[in-house]
Amino acid sequence: MSSNMASSSAGSGDSSAARKNSKRPKYSKFTQQELPACKPILTPGWVISTFLIVSVIFIPLGVISLFASQDVVEIVDRYDNDCIPAPARTNKVAFIQGAAPKSCNRTLTVTKRMKQPIYVYYQLENFYQNHRRYVKSRSDSQLRSPKFENQISACKPEDDAGGKPIVPCGLIAWSLFNDTYTLSRNNTPLAVNKKGIAWKSDKEHKFGNKVFPKNFQKGNLTGGATLNPDIPLSEQEDLIVWMRTAALPTFRKLYGKIETDLENGDTIQVTLQNNYNTYSFSGKKKLVLSTTSWLGGKNDFLGIAYLTVGGICFFLALAFTIMYLVKPRRLGDPSYLSWNRNPGGGR
Amino acid sequence: MVRSSSLNGDSSASHRRTPSRTVTLGHIQPQAPSCRTVYCNDRDSNMPVRFKGNSISTTKYNVFTFLPKGLFEQFRRIANIYFLGISCLSLTPISPVSPITNVAPLSMVLLVSLIKEAFEDWKRFQNDMSINNSTVEILQGQQWVPIPWRKLQVGDIVKIKQDAFFPADILFLSSTNPDGICYVETANLDGETNLKIRKALERTWDYLVPEKASEFKGEIQCEQPNNSLYTFTGNLVVQKQTLPLSPDQLLLRGCSLRNTEYIVGAVVFTGHETKVMMNAMNAPSKRSTLEKKLDKLIITIFCVLLTMCLIGAIGCSIVTDREDLYLGLQKSDWEYHNRLAIGFFTFFTLITLFSSIIPISLYVSIEMIKFIQSTQFINRDLNMYHAETNTPALARTSNLNEELGQVEYIFSDKTGTLTRNLMEFFKCSIGGISYGCGVTEIERGIAQRNGLKVHEEERSTGAIREKGFNFDDPRLMRGAWRNEPDPDLCKELFRCLAICHTVLPEGDESPEKIVYQAASPDEAALVTAAKNFGFFFYRRTPTTVYVRESHVEKMGKIQDVAYEILNVLEFNSTRKRQSVVCRYPDGRLVLYCKGADNVIFERLADGMDDVRKVTREHLEHFGSSGLRTLCLAYRDLDPETYNSWNEKFIQAKSALRDREKKLDEVAELIEKDLTLIGSTAIEDKLQEGVPNCIETLSRAGIKIWVLTGDKMETAINIAYACNLINNDMKQFIISSETDAIREAEERGDQVEIARVIKEEVKKELRKSLEEAQLYMHTVAGPKLALVIDGKCLMYALDPSLRVTLLSLSLNCTSVVCCRVSPLQKAQVTSLVRKGAKKITLSIGDGANDVSMIQAAHVGIGISGMEGMQAVMASDFAIAQFRFLTDLLLVHGRWSYLRICKVVMYFFYKNLTFTLTQFWFTFRTGFSGQRFYDDWFQSLYNVFFTALPVIVLGLFEKDVSASLSKRYPELYREGIRNSFFKWRVVAVWATSAVYQSLVCYLFVTTSSFGAINSSGKIFGLWDVSTLVFTCLVIAVNVRILLMSNSITRWHYITVGGSILAWLVFAFVYCGITTSRDRNENVYFVIYVLMSTFYFYFTLLLIPAVSLLGDFIYQWVERWFYPYDYQIVQEIHRHESDASKADHLEIENELTPQEARSYAISQLPRELSKHTGFAFDSPGYESFFASQLGVYAPQKAWDVARRASMRSRPKVPKK
Repeated sequence: MSSNMASSSAGSGDSSAARKNSKRPKYSKFTQQELPACKPILTPGWVISTFLIVSVIFIPLGVISLFASQDVVEIVDRYDNDCIPAPARTNKVAFIQGAAPKSCNRTLTVTKRMKQPIYVYYQLENFYQNHRRYVKSRSDSQLRSPKFENQISACKPEDDAGGKPIVPCGLIAWSLFNDTYTLSRNNTPLAVNKKGIAWKSDKEHKFGNKVFPKNFQKGNLTGGATLNPDIPLSEQEDLIVWMRTAALPTFRKLYGKIETDLENGDTIQVTLQNNYNTYSFSGKKKLVLSTTSWLGGKNDFLGIAYLTVGGICFFLALAFTIMYLVKPRRLGDPSYLSWNRNPGGGR
Repeated sequence: MVRSSSLNGDSSASHRRTPSRTVTLGHIQPQAPSCRTVYCNDRDSNMPVRFKGNSISTTKYNVFTFLPKGLFEQFRRIANIYFLGISCLSLTPISPVSPITNVAPLSMVLLVSLIKEAFEDWKRFQNDMSINNSTVEILQGQQWVPIPWRKLQVGDIVKIKQDAFFPADILFLSSTNPDGICYVETANLDGETNLKIRKALERTWDYLVPEKASEFKGEIQCEQPNNSLYTFTGNLVVQKQTLPLSPDQLLLRGCSLRNTEYIVGAVVFTGHETKVMMNAMNAPSKRSTLEKKLDKLIITIFCVLLTMCLIGAIGCSIVTDREDLYLGLQKSDWEYHNRLAIGFFTFFTLITLFSSIIPISLYVSIEMIKFIQSTQFINRDLNMYHAETNTPALARTSNLNEELGQVEYIFSDKTGTLTRNLMEFFKCSIGGISYGCGVTEIERGIAQRNGLKVHEEERSTGAIREKGFNFDDPRLMRGAWRNEPDPDLCKELFRCLAICHTVLPEGDESPEKIVYQAASPDEAALVTAAKNFGFFFYRRTPTTVYVRESHVEKMGKIQDVAYEILNVLEFNSTRKRQSVVCRYPDGRLVLYCKGADNVIFERLADGMDDVRKVTREHLEHFGSSGLRTLCLAYRDLDPETYNSWNEKFIQAKSALRDREKKLDEVAELIEKDLTLIGSTAIEDKLQEGVPNCIETLSRAGIKIWVLTGDKMETAINIAYACNLINNDMKQFIISSETDAIREAEERGDQVEIARVIKEEVKKELRKSLEEAQLYMHTVAGPKLALVIDGKCLMYALDPSLRVTLLSLSLNCTSVVCCRVSPLQKAQVTSLVRKGAKKITLSIGDGANDVSMIQAAHVGIGISGMEGMQAVMASDFAIAQFRFLTDLLLVHGRWSYLRICKVVMYFFYKNLTFTLTQFWFTFRTGFSGQRFYDDWFQSLYNVFFTALPVIVLGLFEKDVSASLSKRYPELYREGIRNSFFKWRVVAVWATSAVYQSLVCYLFVTTSSFGAINSSGKIFGLWDVSTLVFTCLVIAVNVRILLMSNSITRWHYITVGGSILAWLVFAFVYCGITTSRDRNENVYFVIYVLMSTFYFYFTLLLIPAVSLLGDFIYQWVERWFYPYDYQIVQEIHRHESDASKADHLEIENELTPQEARSYAISQLPRELSKHTGFAFDSPGYESFFASQLGVYAPQKAWDVARRASMRSRPKVPKK
């Protein structure tokens, strides 16, 4: 009813103008929705071959990773309970907070030859390093550069001591693990190398070599380990390892490495200082000695998972093949169409 | 006027009392209790009344309301409200994530949506402006001055030129035509293209030139603005003389002037008060049903979220221990307080943490997908481009694409939608011989369905084809009829056609140039047919009809013959016939009569049984071919009989009371002992492909209702022609043309009429329903059809009967409502929409369909015609009815499928993502520590998984377009809503749980110990980044697994998304900022990539998580296949390009089907339907009055009568 309607109809009188004004949509594969496409249909052939391919790839991978895992020798020793003298076990928290000597001796037996390097881990359980309060209580910029020493807002409650910023600030650093292990084999001391236990990137980029600990562990609350204020943070690898917070409440951290082979039957004496208080939250502490393969430590899970999935796929391929042979359904059988199944259903 | 106003007041009061008001199906304008007085040509006097201006506005917003109203519209979406809440929460310290993570996406979403709204409203505004700014000439002083429409005021004297549209409702004063008549085209209002005649009051004929018009000082007293198109009551007071006004003097906005140089009129109603605008319901902003269901899904997800948070909160309040020294808990921290407080705060912490479970980018993505679907696919589909009118399809909103895939009821207008409103003389039967060898579309359709090849018959050379004439039979053309067995009868037929009508010839008196002005296209077609048979009617005077006859006495001779018309016995719906008494130049007196077969057959002289029988067979054949038939007969009169009858006739004509009835009675006296000539068959040209389209749509499970303003016979005819009704169906006809009702009407008491009709309708409905239910219970019962007319419908829509009507009509395969007003069309639509909760679609072309189009879920306008009203109100505009197949079965079905998949995928990917976070919460002492980095989390939705799903929403196709049309039954999956059921949601949810568990558990379990040969250990962020990487891969590849059609865009976007994640990780993990923030993920990705372990998990985890879905999909396809999957399998070897549409569908009949098919092939009793039609809507008396026969104007309008108990009488001073 608008006037532009009238004018457009008047304009279409001229045939050449009309051709120019044609509103015929231009053809393109896109607008006509005719783009070339692959139309996968899950035919029995496809399904069975997919399963077979998966099993062919997965089973060998599973075998490889299982072998890798089998090569790894791991010695685990839980010591949190045993390292409390029997009389003090009724009140472990009081013991650990008290001034009594906390030295403790453990003996480990090597059951299988361990090739160097042998890694020494401590394993904590029920320690929520991934707690919301805990994870955020750090200042990465402060760790990186002395310029940002005052960026401590995230570190509460361990942000300052008497008005001066703590370096490194925050709960994570404050709760640094402080048990120490001294190892010896057959009364010969075993050197534990504590260098190179942190990720290189952490050492080089996250922890500055000009940042020195300040006011650390000077607050009201006593936390974990102290740091040597003369060594820059980038060299404090225990701290660096500790501050790469763990994903789960049960975690291992690298303590050091032994760079000599251990033979089958060797006994290792560990003299440890049981300083760290996991008792108030009933956390467990373990000492772990482990070799590695190219795939890492003892890790049967990957291999089993690969084998299981590969096996299931193989089984499914077999089952579907049998089923297809026994009771086939013709592909594209029109009698399966709903309107052919129940005539009059469309009413 | 006092009396009139009290009457009006009474009517409005009674109106309120009517129960139909309590349930608002439609939108009835209440009648204001006073009348309107307009002083013509006197703006100052009209000032105090403050009539509304003539500018119209159809926009949703203006500059000031845009922001508040637009935002309000946006926040009608629950998801947006939710995100507003989350954003507020994340500003508080309890949030584990930074506020930007939630605020930024929300602002993006709102911005994009608002821009889209603004753009659409701007287009509407421009359209309004172009209408408001069209110019019209008004009288100022003594000359015509052009002003824009919007400045027009009530009372102005305007001049409208030929072919212009009326800018407002105008009182017709004078015209350049003699006798003060003008022709208007109402295509915009009712879709009828034949011209209507309006006549000015004789008293005002002179006010034509400006000098004279400026002297016009009239006062119009009339009813208040209302939405009744066909009524108008009022008085014109000119020089203390009161003249009654009728709808004949009112020119409605939306119509246009034709065949008249110009007219002058006075503006009565303007702008939104015009009848056409009052008829338009407020455009509701439509939301698709699927979107509403989506809201339900979102609420469910929200409940899941609350449950998760509750679990977390309870867990936290149990687990949190002040003895966890390393947490440094102090008395000032809320974690230190009682367990209730801990739980309370943790709850909100977790809500912000898990907020990603609700997909924020879902709405934006869907809008984007729908926008591209409508602008690129629907608007540009070559299958829906109509070359003749140069009209492509047009999606006017992009909200409803997927609604098109779920339509169950279609409400269709008839004229201009199903038919072209083009009557063509197609066949005839003379003296028992059938002539005409064309094949109608409906016959062609039947043949095709039966698998027969239709030979397009060679048209004989020289066959004439013109508007109104599509007849081909050499036996009759060019005088060849003289060699037929009964040439005299042929001659009578042609003369009858040329003489017995009320057509006015116009223009040059040559066969090529003459234009017939007929009240109905049928009449014009018949006269045109006579012309082509050599009986050219070229001039009419009130007493004579001139016919140029060829080949009558001998071949090739042409002579002009003048027939004196002595009497015209007019057509009306009771008589169903029309007769003319004429005197030949040689004095022969003949009565020619044409009418419905049963009426004519009753009145035939005895003893011509053979011809009668054969003609009846022909009529039935014509009728079943969808043709409109008329029987022709004549009677030779001797002068005495005629004269004695004529006296009675003159007496009746001058009777003051019951004139009409008396005239009918007198006509009976002479219309008897007729001699049957034969019959004619006119094809009401259906739009191309309509029967096939309807057939396809009904196979798709869609029920089609025809709602038309036409008469019942016409409507039934069309229904036959479209294959909506056939003779196998049980038809229920509820008509107001029954004796009981007619009797009551003759008594004239409105209250009594209403009561009687209501009783009748009630009785009929009950009876029909009982019968219908009887049929429904029998196994092989016939299909049912319901035909109801407007007057009955008015009462059937009454709340007390509505339920009965609904249950009856839902049992019927097809429903035809005839003689319905625009409002009733809307009411019927709402009845099904709200009463039956089915998805409805309305399709129409005229302004009378606007309310229906707006009332339905989806409104479709027919574009390419002159009227634009329907298109303006519609959601989609297509040029042809048959394009519905493409629009619904292809675009609608795909859109539905795509949107469902998109929604499900969004649901799945966000659930998977959030669940990994949820599982992690269990291992963090329920502290609400986030698993992923802030940026990972916020970019997961908008960056790493955004594009593939859009590609899926654009390119997903289960089966190709041609297969969609070949297997219309596939559409039923949409009607059943198979892809958006809770069952489907559950499957996806299970998949999400499974995948999140795989991703989370596999990584956390395997990454416990050393992960490389140097014995180093992963931290939290290494683990989470690894999980995230696996998740991004699994979720993206899942898209490929769920796609039925994978284009290279799928590969590009899926690969691109995974790559984007890696690139982002490389960059993001490589940078540090000086801001006081934790560089948690610094270097993480490089650390990960330096281990073999990373690659081992990267292969294992996505494979395992997708394997579950793979197995499920396979099992589903193999044991419980969807229909489309079977169709895919049937056609798995065909490439898309080969459009082998002719392949026979492989179809094996089950024994039961075979039996029912065999039954359907059995011979049955012959059809009763013969397809009578004689269409002259309402204006028949105009011609009669020209010839001196006066019949009272019967304005027929149901909506109006609904609000009245008694007719307001026009008071005379």
